[in-house]
Amino acid sequence: MDLVSGYKGMVGLVFGNDNSGSNEDSYVERLLDRISNGVLPDDRRNAMAELQSVVAESRGAQLAFGAMGFPVLMGVLKEERDDVEMIRGALETLVSALTPIDHAKGPQNEVQPALMNTDLLSREAENISLLLSLLSEEDFYVRYYTLQILTALLTNSQNRLQEAILTIPRGITRLMDMLMDREVIRNEALLLLTHLTREAEEIQKILVFEGAFEKIFSIIKEEGGSEGGVVVQDCLELLNNLLRKNASNQVLLRETLGFDAIISILKLRGSSYSFTQQKTINLLSALETINLLLMGGSESDPGKDTNKLTNRTVLVQNKVFDYLLLLGVESQWAPIPVRCAALRCIADLIVGHPKNLDTLSSKVLGEEPQVEPALNSILRIILRTSSAQEFIEADHVFKSFCERNSDGQTMLASTLIPQPYSMTNAPIEEDVRMSFGSMLLHGLTLGESDGDLETCCRAASVLSHVLRDNIQCKERVLRIELESPTPSLGASEPLMHRMVKYLALASNMKNKDGKTSTKENSYVQPIILKLLVTWLADCPNAAQCFLASRPHLTYLLELVSNPSATTCTRGLAAVLLGECVIYNKSGESGKDAFTVVDAISQKIGLTSYFLKFDEMMKSFLFSPVKTTKLHKPLTRSAAASMEEIEDVDEQDSSDHKNEDHPILSSIFDSHFVNFVKSLEGNVRETIVDVYSRPKSEVAVVPAELELKRGESDKDYIERLKSFVQKQCSEIQNLLGRNATLAENLAKTGGSVSSQPEQRTSGGFDRVQAETLRRDLQEASQRIEMLKAEKAKIESEASMYQNLAGKMESDLKSLSDAYNSLEQANFHLEKEVKALKSGGASTPPDVEAIKAEAREEAQKESEAELNDLLVCLGQEQSRVEKLSARLLELGEDVDKLLEGVGDDMGLPEDSEKEED
Amino acid sequence: MSYDYLFKYIIIGDTGVGKSCLLLQFTDKRFQPVHDLTIGVEFGARMVTIDTRPIKLQIWDTAGQESFRSITRSYYRGAAGALLVYDITRRETFNHLASWLEDARQHANPNMSIMLIGNKCDLAHRRAVTKEEGEQFARENGLLFLEASARTAQNVEEAFIGTAGKILQNIQDGVFDVSNESSGIKVGYGRPQGASGARDGTVAQRGGCCG
Repeated sequence: MDLVSGYKGMVGLVFGNDNSGSNEDSYVERLLDRISNGVLPDDRRNAMAELQSVVAESRGAQLAFGAMGFPVLMGVLKEERDDVEMIRGALETLVSALTPIDHAKGPQNEVQPALMNTDLLSREAENISLLLSLLSEEDFYVRYYTLQILTALLTNSQNRLQEAILTIPRGITRLMDMLMDREVIRNEALLLLTHLTREAEEIQKILVFEGAFEKIFSIIKEEGGSEGGVVVQDCLELLNNLLRKNASNQVLLRETLGFDAIISILKLRGSSYSFTQQKTINLLSALETINLLLMGGSESDPGKDTNKLTNRTVLVQNKVFDYLLLLGVESQWAPIPVRCAALRCIADLIVGHPKNLDTLSSKVLGEEPQVEPALNSILRIILRTSSAQEFIEADHVFKSFCERNSDGQTMLASTLIPQPYSMTNAPIEEDVRMSFGSMLLHGLTLGESDGDLETCCRAASVLSHVLRDNIQCKERVLRIELESPTPSLGASEPLMHRMVKYLALASNMKNKDGKTSTKENSYVQPIILKLLVTWLADCPNAAQCFLASRPHLTYLLELVSNPSATTCTRGLAAVLLGECVIYNKSGESGKDAFTVVDAISQKIGLTSYFLKFDEMMKSFLFSPVKTTKLHKPLTRSAAASMEEIEDVDEQDSSDHKNEDHPILSSIFDSHFVNFVKSLEGNVRETIVDVYSRPKSEVAVVPAELELKRGESDKDYIERLKSFVQKQCSEIQNLLGRNATLAENLAKTGGSVSSQPEQRTSGGFDRVQAETLRRDLQEASQRIEMLKAEKAKIESEASMYQNLAGKMESDLKSLSDAYNSLEQANFHLEKEVKALKSGGASTPPDVEAIKAEAREEAQKESEAELNDLLVCLGQEQSRVEKLSARLLELGEDVDKLLEGVGDDMGLPEDSEKEED
Repeated sequence: MSYDYLFKYIIIGDTGVGKSCLLLQFTDKRFQPVHDLTIGVEFGARMVTIDTRPIKLQIWDTAGQESFRSITRSYYRGAAGALLVYDITRRETFNHLASWLEDARQHANPNMSIMLIGNKCDLAHRRAVTKEEGEQFARENGLLFLEASARTAQNVEEAFIGTAGKILQNIQDGVFDVSNESSGIKVGYGRPQGASGARDGTVAQRGGCCG
C-alpha cells in the first residue's frame, strides 16, 4: 500500500500529515468517487458504509472527508430521496464526520477535524434548509440522524445556525413538530431546541407561538414531574431558555397557561424523603424557573417592573409559598442547594411587594398544636444551620422582609421582650413555643453561656435588618434591658451594651488563639459592627446610649488603631466613631460630639482616622466591582457534577486577595455599602464644623464686663481678673489643640497649605504611597528570592559542567587506553601471523578482496532495485485508476489485463536474475 | 382562565400605521402617543365574550419594518386571524396592502380570517385614503373592513371582536379542523366542542363590519 501513495492529498499538503494521512486521503477519495460515480447500487452502498466506518474511526479520514466529501453527500441527500438506505448512510456518515474522536494522546492545539467540518457544513444556509426538509421523511433513522447533525452544528456554530433557521420558512415549526414524534426523536429534539433557543429572543418567541409551553409541560407530566429522569431536566432547561429575560413569553405563560403547571413541579409527591441527584437537579431547575419569572424581562424593557410585580402577585396567588416553604424550611431531607434556592425565591417574592409580605408573615408551619409562624422557622435556620450558604439565604429573606416595610419591622420588634434569665438560658431546643423576639434575644445572648459568638453574630445580622431605617424600632430596642448573667453581681444592662461587650469579646478570643484572623472569627466583629452602625444611624438616643458607658469610647478608639484587626473591622469601628460625632446631640460634657472629636484627634490623629475609611473603601467588600454572584443557569454539563452547587465556604476566595470572609460580601449588601460611603463625607463635614465652633467654657456676656451698680472697684477688678484667668486657660487649651492639629497637618506630608481638599488628597496619597511601598517591598523580596534561586542554579550548572568535563576526560583516557591496547593487540597478532607463516611471503588476501567486490555490487543493484520499485508503484496506481474507470465503462478489466500480466512479470524476473 | 376557544391573531401592516397602539388600546385600554419601534414581535392577550362564549385572544403584534419580515413570517401559518392595518393619512401604506396580502396568502393558513383596518380615522383632516377605497379593497379581496382609531378607541374592540366572530362562524361552518393546532385555534378545557352548535348560529357581529 505504501508504494501506491504517489498521490498527496490537498489536506495532506496543508496539514503536513504523515504518510497514513495521505493514505486515508486517497482511500476517502476513492470511496467518494465510488459513491458519486458508481453505477452498481450495491457497490455505492458498500462504499458509503465503508466511508462511514472510516470517518467514524480516524481523524485523518474526518479531515479528508471535510476537504472533499460534503458536495458529494449533499448531492446524495438532494437527489436520491427514494433510496432510503443511501440517505441513511449519508446522514450517518455526516454524524460521524461531525463527532469528535476522542484522541487522548493527540496534542491540544491540533486541528479538530469535527469542529472544522461543522464549520464547513454550516456555512451554506442551503445545507441547513436541506437538512430541515429531511425531518419530514417517513424513515425513523433519517429523522434521528438529521436531528443529531443539527444538534452538532448548533453546538459549534450556534449563531450561524440560529440565523439560518430563522430565515427558513417554517423551519422552527418543523423542529417543533419533532416534539410530538416518538420518544427517541422527541428527546433528541428537546436537546436541539435547547441549543437553538439559547440567547435568541426571536426564536424563543416563535417556539412559544408554536405552543412550546403546552408541549413542554405535557412531557414533564408524562415523565413524572420532579421524580422524572433526565428528560424532565432537559424540558426544564428548554423552558428556562424560553423565559429567561423574555417578558413577552412570561406574559404569555402567565395569561394563557398560568403558573400552576410550573408550581406543581415543586410539589413533592411520593417519597418526600428521598432526593436522588436527578430529582435534586429537577427541583433546582424548577426553582430556577421561578427565579427567572421573579427577575422579569430584560433590563432594557420599559415594562419590566410591572411585569415583574405581576409575576410575583400571580405566583403567590397560586400558592407558591406553600411549596417553597416546604422545600426550603420544612423538609428535613431536602438537600442544601434546594433549600437555598427555595429561600432565595421566597426573598425575591416579598421584596417591595406589600401583599406578598403580608402573606408570608401570616403563614404558619407545622401541625396543630405545634404550629409556628414561618418567619420563626426561618429564624431558627439562621441561628442553627451548619451551612454558611443557607445562613446567607435565610438572612436574605429577613433583609427582603424588612426592606421598605416599617410595619413588618415594628411587628417583629414588638416581640422583642426579654425573658427572665432562666428562660433565656434554656437550651435552644426548647424554642418551639417562643416568640420571634424571644428566639432572637435568646440567639443574641447565647454566647454568654458557651462562648459561641457565631449564633450571636447571626442574630445580630437579623436584628440589624429589623432596625434599619426605622427610628421607632431603634428606640424600642434601646429600651431593652437584659438581666446580668450573674444577678448578684450587678444590675441589668441595655442590650446595646451587651452587644458591645460581645464585640470586645470577639477580639479577645482571637488574641487568645494567637492567630490574628482565623476565618471562623473574621466575620463576627464586622457583623456586630454592622448592627451598631445601623443602629446609631439617625438615632441620637442610640449614640447617647452607646457613649453612656465610658469604656465604650476607649475600646472603639483602640479597635480603630488595632493592627491585628482586619481592615474592615478597623474601618467599621471608624464609621461607628463618626456616627458618635454626627448623631451626637448630647450637651453633657464628656459625652458630646466635641469630646469624641477631641479623643479621635488625640488618640488616633485625624489623618490616620480617615485613612481607616479609605483603606476600607478600597477593600474588596466595598469595591464597586463587587457584583452579586451570578449563579449560572443549570445546564446539563453544569448539573452533571453536583459539586458545582457548593457551599459558600468552599468557594475559592483567594482569587481576589481577600482577607475577609466570603460571608461578608453577602451580608454587606449594596445598601449598607452605599450608606457607609455617604457617611464618610458627613463625618468630615461635622468634624470641621465641631472644630470651627469650639464650645467656649467661658460665657462672654458684654453686660457683665461693665462695672455693676454698687460694686466696688476692687470687686470689679477681682471679677475681671478671674474672668481673664478663665479665658487665659481656655486660650491655653485651644493653643494646645491647635498644636496637635498642626502636628497632624505636618505629618500629612509637610504641606503648608491647610486646604481640606489637599488634606484628603494627602491622606489619599499616603494610602497610595503605602500600597506602593508595600508592592515595592514585595517586588524586591521576590527579586531577592529569584536572585538566590539564580545563583543556586548557576552553581549547580557549573558543578554539572565540571562533572561533565571530568567524565569527558575520563572517557578520553579510557578510549586512549583502549586504542593502545588494540594497537598492541594488532602488533601481537601480526607477530603471531609472521611467526606462523614462518617468514614466507604472504599472498594477497583473495578472500577479502572478493568480499569487498561483492558488497559493492550488491549496493549498486539495491539502488537500482529501488528505482524500479518506485516506477512499478506509479505504474500500478495508474493501472488501478484506469481499471476502475474501465470498470465503470463496463469493460472487463481482467480479460484486458491477461496479456499484460505476462509483460508485467518480466521486470520481476529480471530482478531475480540480477539478484 | 377557562375559555371555550383560544384564537391566535397577528397584526401586520407597514411600519408606523399604529399596530402596537391598536393592541395596547385593546389589551390595556390606553393610548401611548409615542411608541418605540417594535422589534421582532410583541405579545398581548385578552379575554372576550362573544355571544356569551368566553374566548381567549392571543395576539402577536409584528414589526412592520422590512428587515423583520423573515421573522414575522414565522407567525403567519399558526394564526387564525389577522388584522391588516394601514394609515388613512398615508397613501403609501394603503398602496402596500396588496403585497402584504400576497405575503399572507403565501405563508398563512388559507382559512385565516383577515380584517382590514384603516387606522387613525380621528385625523379626518389629513385623510389621504377614502373610506370607500378601503371598503372596495376589502370587498375585492374578501376581507372584513373597519376604520378605527387607536387614539380614541373608536372601533378597536369591534375590530378584534369582529375578527373573532368571523372565526367562530367559520368553525361552526366546519371550515376549520379545530383539532389541528396549526389552525391557530384551540378548544378550551371548559366546554365540549360543538355540543352547543345550534345556539351558535347567531354570532354577534358588532360594529360596521362589511365584507
